[in-house]
Parts: sequence; C-alpha cells; structure tokens
Amino acid sequence: MTTTAPVRRVRRRRMPRDLPRFLLLCVLAIIFLAPVYWMISTSFKTEADAISLPVQWIPSRPTLDNYREVLTSPDGNILRWTGNSLYVALAFTVLHVALCALTAYPLARMRFPGRNAWFWFILSSLMIPGIVTLIPTYIMMLNFNWINSYHALIWPGLSGVFGVFLLRQFFMGIPRELEEAARLDGANSLQILWRIILPLSIPSLATLAVFAFMGSWNNFLWPLFTVTDVDKMTLPVGITTFSQRYVTEYGKLMAATTLAAVPALIAYLLAQRFLESGLSTTGLKE
Amino acid sequence: MTITQAPARTTTAPAPTPRRRVPLEPYLYLLPHAVLFFLFTVYPIGYGLYISLHRWDLLNPVKTFVGSEFYRNLFTPGTPQADFFWKTLWNTTFFTIVSVPLLLIAALGLALLLHRPIFGRTFFRAVFFMPGILTVSVMGILWRWMFDNQIGLVNAARMVLASAPPIPWLSTEGLAWVPIVVGTVWWTVGFNMTLYLAALGNVPVSLYEAASLDGATPWQSLRFITIPLLAPVTLFVFVTTALASFQLFGQSLLITNGGPSRSTQSVIQYITEEGFTNAQYSSAAAMGFAFGLIMLIFTAAQFGLMARDVKGDEG
Repeated sequence: MTTTAPVRRVRRRRMPRDLPRFLLLCVLAIIFLAPVYWMISTSFKTEADAISLPVQWIPSRPTLDNYREVLTSPDGNILRWTGNSLYVALAFTVLHVALCALTAYPLARMRFPGRNAWFWFILSSLMIPGIVTLIPTYIMMLNFNWINSYHALIWPGLSGVFGVFLLRQFFMGIPRELEEAARLDGANSLQILWRIILPLSIPSLATLAVFAFMGSWNNFLWPLFTVTDVDKMTLPVGITTFSQRYVTEYGKLMAATTLAAVPALIAYLLAQRFLESGLSTTGLKE
Repeated sequence: MTITQAPARTTTAPAPTPRRRVPLEPYLYLLPHAVLFFLFTVYPIGYGLYISLHRWDLLNPVKTFVGSEFYRNLFTPGTPQADFFWKTLWNTTFFTIVSVPLLLIAALGLALLLHRPIFGRTFFRAVFFMPGILTVSVMGILWRWMFDNQIGLVNAARMVLASAPPIPWLSTEGLAWVPIVVGTVWWTVGFNMTLYLAALGNVPVSLYEAASLDGATPWQSLRFITIPLLAPVTLFVFVTTALASFQLFGQSLLITNGGPSRSTQSVIQYITEEGFTNAQYSSAAAMGFAFGLIMLIFTAAQFGLMARDVKGDEG
C-alpha cells in the first residue's frame, strides 16, 4: 500500500476511536466465516468426530478418508461434474458475449428503421418472469430430444438480453471520430467492430463474461430438471445427489461441498476486483 | 453491398443526391440473437399459454382444449392446486417480507462499518462478499447442517454457551424459516453491501464536515445526510432484492425441502413439483402464468417507482 505519511499519521491517531468498529467487524467476520470453517474442518474429521459433542473446532484425528471416498464414489463423480460445469459455463459465456456484442453493435452505432422498436421490444422481455417460460421450454427440450444434453443447459439462456443492454450502453459512449477515421481508411463495419469497438470495450466485455460465467456455473433450477443423467449433471445439481445419499454422513457431505466450493472460491480470488467493481457499476450506472 | 448498389447506378440520370435505402447490414448483426430470442423467449410464452389451455399429456398425442379449467382450479377451494398454490405463494411472500428488510439493513450496516478506512478493510469486504459466490446447493447443504435438529453448530453452540436443549429447527413449523432466512442473509448480503459501499463513496465529504461544524452528532449525520442521499440506491437494492426473494427456490428446497408440511415450500418449488413430479404440465404452466402475472404487476410497480425516482432526481 502506498499511503502517504500524513494519512498514516491521521489513521494511527484515529485508531483508538476506531477500535470498537474494528472489534465489531472482527466478530462479524468470525460469524461469517464460521460456517465455511466448519464445513472445511468437518471434511477432515472421522464420522464419529463430526457428530461428537462438545464440538471439535480442530479435527482431533484429521483424515483424508472423506475426500478419498467422495472422489471415488460410485454414486457420482465430482470431477466429472466440475468438468461438465466448466464446459457448459465456458461455452455459454463465449457464445453469450459474442451474441450480445453482435446485437449491441448495430443498436448502438448504426441507423436503420426499427432500431429503437427492436431494442425496446427485446428489453421489455426483462419484465417477463422466468417462471412463465419454464414449463413450455422444458417441453420444447423434450421435443428437441435435448433432455440430458448440454444443449438444454446452453441454448435457451442465450436469448437473454441484459448483456445486450449493458454493451449497448457502453458502445454508445465510444467516440464517433475513431469509427469515422477507420471508415475513411476503408474498414467495413465488421472490421470496425473487431478492431475498434471491442478492444475499447474490454472492461465491459469482461464484466459481462464474469457475470455470464457465474450465472451459468451457479444455475440450479433449470439443470436440476433438464439433466437427470448422473454423468451429465453440473456441479450444483450433482452435489445435491450426494446430500440426499449421505444425509447423515457429515464428513463425506462436507468433503463434497468443500470440493464443490473450491472452484468458485478460486475464481473469486482471481476475479475479486472485477466482480465487485462490475457489480457496483453495472447496477448503478444509468 | 455491391449487389444492392448496382441497380441504383443504372437508374435515370446521374443523381448525386444520397439515396435513402434500407441497409441490410444491421439486420444481419441482429439476426443470430433474434432467432434465439424468438425461439426461447417469444415462442415459449405463446406455447405456454397454449399448453395451459389444453390438457397436456406427454403420452397422449391428442391435447384436448379445456379453456380456463386449470386457471379456474386455482380459484376453486378444495382442489390441491388452489390450496397449495396460494399457500406456497404466501410462503414466498412471507419470506420476501422478512428477508428484504434484513438484507437492506444488514447491508447498509456493513457498508457503514466498512466505508471509512480501517485496518483490514479489503479482507472484511472479501469475507462479507464471499458467501455470495457459493452455489445455492453448497449454501443449502451447509445451512441445513448448521441448523441440524441434533448436532448442528447452532444447537451445539446453544448447548455449550447456555446449556440449552437442542431446538428442532428444521422440523418445527415457523422455526424452519430461521435457517432459510439466516442462510439467505449470510449468502446474499455482501452483494447489497457492495452496492451501498459504491454509493457511500459518492457522498461528498464536505457535507459531513459542514454538519459536524454545525454540531451534528454522528447519528444526525446518518439520519439527515447519509440515508437521504442513499435513497436512490436503497430503492434499487430494494427492488432487486425483493424480485430475487420472490424467486425463492433452492434455499428452502435444500434446507427444509419445503417442510414441515409445506410450511416453507416456495411457490416455484410447488410449480416444479406439479409440473415435473406430478407430470401435470398444463396445471403447472397455468400456475407459471398466474405467478408470472403477479410478478409482472409487482415488477411494473417497482420499475414505476424507480422511474419516478429517477425523474424526481432530474427535476
């Protein structure tokens, strides 16, 4: 941290007044972390220790048995589910960002009849609650023979329009001079999109990509019903089958949930700044 | 492009005036998304309406038209559809009423605690935000266990701290909401906190300095400066949190499985049960529309509220 000397002096002087606030934050942080600590700690306990009272904060006989059993369980393969989730989320993210960029581009930078009408038409779909299309889309999946296939997890969500809105807002802010200069140099619209608009929009494309990935990765309701084949399940759905099976075997259950949480935790640590700043700007910028 | 230009050149005398022609290009860009939009957003709405007006049986190719029967069922006391639909709709509403104020106040409280510089601020921010990135199933399994009737951490803590007997949280009507609400607040408060922190960063410091020169207490500064200036964010957080709360599904499914005796079942869980477990697609589609309509009215009212607020800011 590059705090300058005066700031540091002010901060030090303030410290005693800030102490109650600091202690309160510590207590809250402990409360927030306790469930996660408990999950991880229990995943290393033997079954007997997991349910023993008084509570064992630190496993007395740490063991990796839970992880070994969960990873080799014949009831489902966590690594396979993780791979499925990764595949689906990556495919969705790439397609979604590409589609949104292609759609937002003319809506932001070209003049043509019906531009505003189309924009408001698709935007109005944000008002339609997802539950309305749940059953019909499911029956469409049956008709397409897409139940238990990755297609069901990828394609329907690509019709979403929030990303179009987000990118359109950003594209509109790009100076027109750059585009005109490129056009004089003989660039066509696709080249302008690829060479000028997109490189300048990397922050907003990345924000959209992070949200698309997280959304797909954490999707639960739809994959729960469209994928029932254990080998095709995504991680959030697969992990619940463990919870139904190991309902009283807490060590194993917590090893499974810990494994399920790890990818998200790693992603969060890598993308923390993006995620939080993306959230606070996408939400509030009008 | 050249094809469309060719005939233009051959027509009449040299006409340097720019011709107004409809360009094809923008529509080509719009096409891929438009296809998916019609297929997976527009069409399912009409298809769903069709399903809800017919008796939809997967095995029977003949779909009999039954009109509004499945909608009328929802208003016919005594049918399970009417009983459970309204019961679970009330459950969802109850959850929203309880959780939204908590998620607003707790988020504002955390943001106020973290707004001014303090040792470890980045760490605390991360700690409060982090649960939100967990998938709902991890969160659900974790909190079901935290509130386990016998050996959950909450009961264990009660035993150790107050030598109180364990409470059967998950199987007591009314109490079963506690793990769901507590888990949800733990899970999502960090998102709202982040929005509040961003907004607090925009409040001019000079206002507080002026207020403190006038002898305002910290409480008065909060009451008369911070909270009014945060009103637009509060409205935004309120709208998004309320809409998300009405989508309650995974938390109650995984923590209590809607029990005991459907007292925590969400309306979405009931609709999926009717559709996917009972294979009553028409009935479930009708309920989807009914709930969707209620949500739509609710959403429109909230968007109206937001629009009015935005206008008020400008005027």
